[in-house]
This record gives sequence, structure tokens and C-alpha cells, in this order.
Amino acid sequence: MDFIISANTDIGITKDTNQDGLSIKVLNTPYGKMSFAVLCDGMGGLSKGEVASTTVVSAFNDWVYNELPALCKTGITDSAIRNQWENIIFKQNRIISTYGASQGVRLGTTVVVMLITQTRFYIMNIGDSRAYEISDTIHQLTEDQTVVAREIKLGKLTPEEAKTDPRRNVLLQCIGASDNIYPDMFFGDPKKNAVYMLCSDGFRHEITSDEIYEKFQPDILANTDIMCEKAEQLIELNKQRSEQDNISVALIKTI
Amino acid sequence: MLEVGSLVDGKYKILNKVGQGGMSVVYLAMNERANKQWAVKEVRKDGVLDFESVKQGLVAETDILKKLSHKHLPSIVDVIDTEDSFIIIMDYVQGNSLDKALKEFGAQPQEDVIEWSKQLCDVLHYLHTRNPAIIYRDMKPANVMLKPDGSISLIDFGTAREHKAFKVEDTTCLGTRGYAAPEQYGGMGQTDARTDIYCLGATIYHLVTGMNPSEPPYEIRPITQVDASLSTGLEKIILKCTQNNPADRYQSCAELMYDLEHYKDFEDEHIKKQKNKIKLFASSAALTLLFLIVSVWGLCSAKGAQKENYDYLLANANSKTEYYETILTDPTRTEAYLGTDDFDGLISYLISDGELSAQDSSVLAQLKVGIEKIGSGGYSSTVDVLGQLKKSDPEGYKQVCYEIGEAYLFYYNIGVAKDKYQTASSWFKETVDSYPVAKIYCDISSCLQNVYKYSKANQTAKLYEEYENLWNEVVVLHNEADDLEEDLKIQVWNEIVGMVNNNCKEFCEVASKAEINSLLKRISSQASTVTNTFLKESVSSLQSNIDITLSKVSTVESN
Repeated sequence: MDFIISANTDIGITKDTNQDGLSIKVLNTPYGKMSFAVLCDGMGGLSKGEVASTTVVSAFNDWVYNELPALCKTGITDSAIRNQWENIIFKQNRIISTYGASQGVRLGTTVVVMLITQTRFYIMNIGDSRAYEISDTIHQLTEDQTVVAREIKLGKLTPEEAKTDPRRNVLLQCIGASDNIYPDMFFGDPKKNAVYMLCSDGFRHEITSDEIYEKFQPDILANTDIMCEKAEQLIELNKQRSEQDNISVALIKTI
Repeated sequence: MLEVGSLVDGKYKILNKVGQGGMSVVYLAMNERANKQWAVKEVRKDGVLDFESVKQGLVAETDILKKLSHKHLPSIVDVIDTEDSFIIIMDYVQGNSLDKALKEFGAQPQEDVIEWSKQLCDVLHYLHTRNPAIIYRDMKPANVMLKPDGSISLIDFGTAREHKAFKVEDTTCLGTRGYAAPEQYGGMGQTDARTDIYCLGATIYHLVTGMNPSEPPYEIRPITQVDASLSTGLEKIILKCTQNNPADRYQSCAELMYDLEHYKDFEDEHIKKQKNKIKLFASSAALTLLFLIVSVWGLCSAKGAQKENYDYLLANANSKTEYYETILTDPTRTEAYLGTDDFDGLISYLISDGELSAQDSSVLAQLKVGIEKIGSGGYSSTVDVLGQLKKSDPEGYKQVCYEIGEAYLFYYNIGVAKDKYQTASSWFKETVDSYPVAKIYCDISSCLQNVYKYSKANQTAKLYEEYENLWNEVVVLHNEADDLEEDLKIQVWNEIVGMVNNNCKEFCEVASKAEINSLLKRISSQASTVTNTFLKESVSSLQSNIDITLSKVSTVESN
């Protein structure tokens, strides 16, 4: 299985800074090709959100270069990934909280991170960024850690009510502003000829999953140029529909 | 940032940093002239996004804040506006915050939590009754100090406003919000006293369960589900505090205070209810037991009476009707059929004249269809006596069937052997798994049926096949007879000799004459060993039958 990747980010139409951060790569290892992507959405309401998102992205990049090779040798397991990634975010949570306290500011970030090997995919999610799998259908792999998502799950809100609920932008947790972090982990078997997409909430507020599916079908995304072009088109569509937030999307296509 | 060792307002010497909030730093300071410790809180202007609004709020409230005086509030003595920060001088509260206690020790003792809750309720009531009312809005364990004397103090007061102005559009995180009541997210009406009541409810929940409602599973569950030993009274209070709709909560701290002071009454009421339930259960259990004893006693005495009755009837039974009556008295007993050491049963009664007549046979046949019972009202009903016996005493039932079968076999002199065997086998078939001989009788019966059938149809080949079977069965029966009592043995031998006599010619076709002679002679020699003098007559009759049969066989031979 081989991978082609692309990433796009846009400051959007209202913000002064782009607080989203992302990194995506294809790795050549003796154990076959792998693809790694991480996407963070710095907290819009918190000053210096971009510091938080960048810090976490770098921490995961460091992991790819320093820890992953050793892990490949001992064998990548669900629990090993969980342990190592949890340690990263627990440490980053402390670092960012301490930094915030020292600067007298409060900052935080979401994170969605994904590793695809030849046989398995691993996803960790904190906050409201998302991972999707697009093959013959589009399927959301992560669950939003937001107050309204929880209320919907508990049956106290309908998805329609959630759109206008005053709490719609309240995350249950994020890195840097929660005392304790309880990340969600998702594991699965990757499909061939599928598209795996990570995106910030800005990318998917104003457009529907049908619209995403229409542009990002695996057969359409033949190469990186087309992937970038289609992502660009969706970002533009978001802006036309007055999305307020930063907009970011990372794509991994398996072939 | 204030320097350690610097002097603020010419009076307060900064000793060291003791705490750091989102946008403020707290120092311990000393008023050297008065030799008193103070807390100095510095709210930095560059750290606050919208400092002007914070400042306005603070300045407007400063006068009110300065006037506040409550035993659970640190008093604010001065607010100093400097170029780059706002400095608030207040009582220094010694002790640890409750969130530290939670981190170190987990859930706190319920009695302590109730006591702290009352004090918090007291101080919130004080704030809410100022004019204008002051809403605290940030009640959480981190803002409650536990003083060395065991009482609490609400801290971080007066600057709470700084991060209360959320914008709906901005993403934010629950972790930074404490236990925000739904209305604090905006768009759901004003925050008021009931907002503080919500947050106090969430705080009590966290303290008493050790579970932070703003961490997974992000909910306030009934506390007795978390820890069954907690008070159900307190559970009700917490649930009422934390209703989503402010109108469903306590409407004032006074209401909440009343319930907190009387939570044990709810508890008592609850326990009383439980106690009543136990009493009710105990009394019904006692009644059940009493009824059980009475009914067992009744059953036993009824059984006794029935037994007495049965034994009496059996002892005096001397007619079919009287035996039937005995059987009906207790169909689960076998004595009425089989008899006891002292009294004859129905079977012995019927064959006491040495044969089973057609009339006697109908008495036995009646058992199979059931006996008529005349009820007290004069109505008759049919009782399936054998069915009841089979259910309650399967072995006894088999014994009865076996003995009836034998009665037919040995004493029924109506019709031909085929019919005798057929009737007998209808009883034997019930007993085959306990009486091996019964199986042989059943097989003989079916052989005889077939012989009859084939001879009628002139199917000679099959007929002789069947005679061969019959001969084999006869041999098996003879072997089987070895285990029987002497009197039964003689009856079986008689049966065998009779069978050979009747089928002499046919047996000579399927077995050698030598075999037949040998069987008869063996029976003869076995019979001669019978020593029981009561059986002498039977033996001599058997011996003469054997002689007759032997000569009959020899006749066949000569043909």
C-alpha cells in the first residue's frame, strides 16, 4: 500500500491569526510505508492559541523521528501507541498550562493525530477536530468532545438545536486548559483506495459531509495537485458561506 | 510583576509568591507597622484582553467590596490602581484549597462536606442579599480555602469578573469554566443567585464523590450510585441544585440552607420508610411461616387420618367394592393391590379361588380406565388410580402391573394361550425395564400373535420362523426362571412344559428332539430338587405333565 498526501490551511475571513497547525508525511520504513498526520486547532477564544497548536504539532513530529523507529523494531501495537501518545499529550498539557500561567494568559488546543501503517490505523482525538474515512461512503472516525455532542448523545439536544445552542463552541477538554486529559483512541484496519481526512472544525461547519464526499472520492483524488485543488475549492466554499474560523484539512490517500 | 521584597503602597512588603491564577498573581505581604500578614493580588493589565471592562467593573464594585464583612470572606482592605496592574490588598487566608484536598485524598467525608456547604451557603446568602446583589459565579473547590480551624473561606473574590465575559463565537474549553451553569454560556437568560446555587451543587457533588463533573463522564449522577453509603437526603439536595432550568433549583440560599440543615430529616424519613418496608416484610414473612406450619400440620394429620382409614379398610376388605374403596382412599399406596403380610391385596383376593375368572378380569381391567368415586355431593367422578400411583411411586406401580400380569399368565383360564399372553403382556409391558422376565413374556406374547396371524394366512415359512423365535424365547425363559422363587419357578416351568406340549409338532420342526427332550428333562431334574413340602403337589403335577409331553415328543419323533 502506498500513500499520497496533501494539506491546506487558510486563515479564514475574520481572524487575525491562523491558530491551526498541522503536519503530514509519508514515511519509508523497513517495515513498509506509513503515513502520519497531526492537526491542531488552537483555541480561538484564548490568546496565543497558535503557540499551543504549534507546540503540540512539534511534539508529535519529534515522536515520529525519535520514537517511532524504535517502536517499529519492537512492533507497533495499539497499547504501545496509546501509551506513547498519551504521554505526549499529558506532557504537552503541563507545558502549555505552565506557559500560560507564566504569561498570565490562557491557551489551549485540540488535536487529532493519525498513523496509518500497512495493516492498521491509529487515531487519537481531543476536542472537536475530526478524522474521516472516505471510500464508497464517507464515515466520521472520531467523536467530537464538545458539550453539545455529549448532550446529543444523552438525548438532551437534537442535532438541529445543537447548531444554535450557546454552548456549541464549548469543548469538554483540550490540551493546555484542562486539569486532566482523557483522550479518545480509535483503531482500525485501513482500506485500500480510500481517503483519510483530518480537519479542523472550521472546515466542516458550513459544508455537508455529502459535499466533502463529492470532492474527495478516492477515484477523483488521483494525485497531490488534484487533492490540493479540491481542498482549495472546499475551503473557498466555506469562506463564501461566511465561516468565521481558521480552516484546515489534511488528506491521505491510500493506493 | 511585583518584586519580592518590594513595598506596595508604602505599607505592604511583598514576602513571596503564593499563588497564580489565569491573569493574576497572589503574594504574601507583611504590613510591618501593624505586624499583620496580608494577601496581595496583582491583576496584570496586559494579561487581560478587555481590561477596561474589568477595571470598570472592579472600580464600581470596589466600594461595595470594601464594605463586605463576613466570617467566610477575606476582607478587602484596599484596591490600588497602578500603571500596569491592579493591586488588591486583602486578608491572608492560611490553609489549603479544597481542590488540593480532593487531589490528595479524593472524596471528602460527607459530614465535613455538609458543614462546609452550610458555610458556603451562608456566605453566598450574604452576597446575594447585598444591595445590589453580588453573584459570585465561580464557585469551585479551588476557590474554597480550608482554614486550620476547620472553617472555610471563599477566596478569589472580586476579580471573578475578569473572565466572565465569554463570547459565544469563541471556542472555549470546559476545563477553564469550572462548573458553569447552563445559563452562564449566554443565550439562556441572566445569571443570578440560582447560578451560584448550581455551582455550589456541583461543588458539593465533586467534594463528596471525588468525581469532577467537568471531567468524563461529564455528568452529575445521583451520589448514592457513586457511593451507596452516602446520604439520600444529600443526593436530593445536589440534584435540586443542579437542575438545568434555574426555575427547578432552590430559588434562594435560604431554601438551600434549610435543606442542608435538615438533610438528616430527609434521611430519617427515608430510613423510616425503609424501616416500615422491613417491618411490612417481616410481618408478612412471619405470617407466611405461620400459615406454612399450619398447613403442614394440617396435611400431616390429614395424612395420618387417611392412613388409618386406609389400613382399616384394607384389613376388612372382602369384596371388589371394598378394595376399590381402599384404593380410592389413597391411590398412591400399593398395599391394596399387593396385600401386606397380614392381609390379602386385591390381586390375591381375586385369585384366591385358584383361577382368574372373566369377572375377576373385568375388576382388573377397570383399574386401567379408572375407578368411579362418589363425591360428597353425590356426583361421581372417575379417578385414574393407577396414573396417580405411577406418578407418586413408579416402582410400586411396576410391581402392581407385574403381579397383575402374572395373575393373568398363571390363573387366567379363559380363551387360548395367545389371548392369555396378550392380556398379560398389556400389563407386563409397563414393567419391562425393572423385570427382565416381563420382557420375555411380552416377546412370547408377540410370537404367539404372529403364529396366529401366519397360520391364519397360511404363511408357512414365516410361521416356522416365528415358532423358532418362540422356541428360543421358551429357552430364554427357562434360563431366566433360575433366579425366581421356588413357587414362581414351578409356575414358569409349568408354563414352559405347557407351551412345549401345545406346540410339540412345530417345535420338533425348528429344534432337534434331543434339545426339546433335554429341556424337559432338565426341568424335571430341577423340579425334583424342590424341597418345600407345600409345593409337593405342584411338583408332582409338573412331573406328570413333563412325562406326558416327553411321550408326545417321542410320538412326533416316530412320525
